[in-house]
Amino acid sequence: MVEHLNWGLPVIGYLFLAGVGAGALTVSSSVLLRGGGGGFGGRHFKIARYGAFIAPFPIMIGAAMLILELGSFEAGNYLRFLNLFTTINLSPMSIGSWLLMGCLGASLLYAYTFWPDGAEPGDEMEKYRRGLAWVCVPLGISVAVYTGVLLGAMPARPFWNSPVLPMLFLLSAISTGIAVIMLTQTLLHKKSTTEEEHRTHHESGYILTATDLMLICFEVVGIFLFLMFAHLTVGDVKYAVSAILPGGDMASMFWFWVLLVGLVIPGALEMIYVFPRLINHREFAAPAYVEYVVPVAILAGGFMLRYIVVVVGQITGPVGI
Amino acid sequence: MVIETRRCSGCQACSVACKAEFDVPLGHTRSWVETIEKGNYPAVSVNFLPRLCNHCRHPACVDVCPTGATFKRSADGIVDIDPDVCIGCKYCLLACPYDARFINPLTGSADKCSFCLHRISQGVEPSCVNTCPGKARIFGDVNDPKSEISRVLATNPVSVLRPGMGTEPQVYYIAADNYDEHFRERGWHVNVATHRRQKERR
Repeated sequence: MVEHLNWGLPVIGYLFLAGVGAGALTVSSSVLLRGGGGGFGGRHFKIARYGAFIAPFPIMIGAAMLILELGSFEAGNYLRFLNLFTTINLSPMSIGSWLLMGCLGASLLYAYTFWPDGAEPGDEMEKYRRGLAWVCVPLGISVAVYTGVLLGAMPARPFWNSPVLPMLFLLSAISTGIAVIMLTQTLLHKKSTTEEEHRTHHESGYILTATDLMLICFEVVGIFLFLMFAHLTVGDVKYAVSAILPGGDMASMFWFWVLLVGLVIPGALEMIYVFPRLINHREFAAPAYVEYVVPVAILAGGFMLRYIVVVVGQITGPVGI
Repeated sequence: MVIETRRCSGCQACSVACKAEFDVPLGHTRSWVETIEKGNYPAVSVNFLPRLCNHCRHPACVDVCPTGATFKRSADGIVDIDPDVCIGCKYCLLACPYDARFINPLTGSADKCSFCLHRISQGVEPSCVNTCPGKARIFGDVNDPKSEISRVLATNPVSVLRPGMGTEPQVYYIAADNYDEHFRERGWHVNVATHRRQKERR
């Protein structure tokens, strides 16, 4: 389906990976500023560290995929893409390229501050780490939002031309960022030796899961608004959105992957384990399978959201001539 | 440019002339003609819609170009591309409501109709205008009230394509048919076909 499109799998992959990277960076630096280093006594330093180490990689891989798909690269002008950085204008892609470079640079520096083996809250890197975290939060959010603005800037692509889309991409980016940190924490988790360690592990898990649950709820609202406002209008946008409404070409894919796999299943699983802690103040203890299923489902849903949005935006267009 | 669709017989001479003028790579077109069939037997018709870059007053392609490779010439308003600056990101291909652009596989940059810039700068009319046997195309300076195009624009009801996109195209049509497949819901047979690689209008 994607081979005849102008923007195919590399762009879809990039939008997803940039979201994951920007999300992981935002989550890591906000945890550090609010919970890891200071506010909560440095208990969640570990998840901030995971996020910091993960963040640069998806951004780099995604950007590399984009460059490989450029027409100039395919025609053999391998360095032509540098023209992006000889100018700056109001094109979302121009602003986005600069933001992405800033974000990549900041995330690499930020990851470096966590590099020493004994990195811990309050060591000599602390002030650089916190300073960079203050830069990384806005940069991460900007990159996540710009991916939506990039698509939304074109009246000729009615499916994308919605102000809800950048918000949806931002929520999905942070949610997938949390998912990748959650997955790393679960994969690298060794049997806790002390009671304290055990509790911190679960508390970190709780912070991530509860935040993710909130994001998933907002995402459901975002998707509802996106569909409803598109469906209630007339002409171009109504025809475009009908592709993912019941009866449309990509409807089953959208409802199964994005709604069910990406939002409902992980949301419901998270709810089961978050509510007892949130409402009854019981201890948060999610079984290991949940800690695998939830992030994998969220990542799959996040990718499919980008896939469906990018494909539908290109197979639909203005009505009439 | 003004295109009088009632004088177009769908002979594709403009498409061929354009291909020959620019050596446009196989499978791509700067200028093309759409065939619009509509109606239910016995009330049927076939109309032709010659297409090219609209050289819009507010070009969507220029707004999204990240490198400034696509630009609007301030002197005559022609939208042109600098193939040495273009990185081939395809953003403009998606932003153009008229699907006028393609990636030239030889240069790797975006390509489209330039109103035959090399010809009109020498005072010769564009290749498609020159070749049209039905004299369906009129090219000239709309700011010059004495020009033929100004007279035709002033004395005929004209329309532009997809005016809702806010691009203010500078290619005007006389008697263009705005029907497409979406109007099948009214019970009419409508079929729009092009001879491009992408057979359907986008």
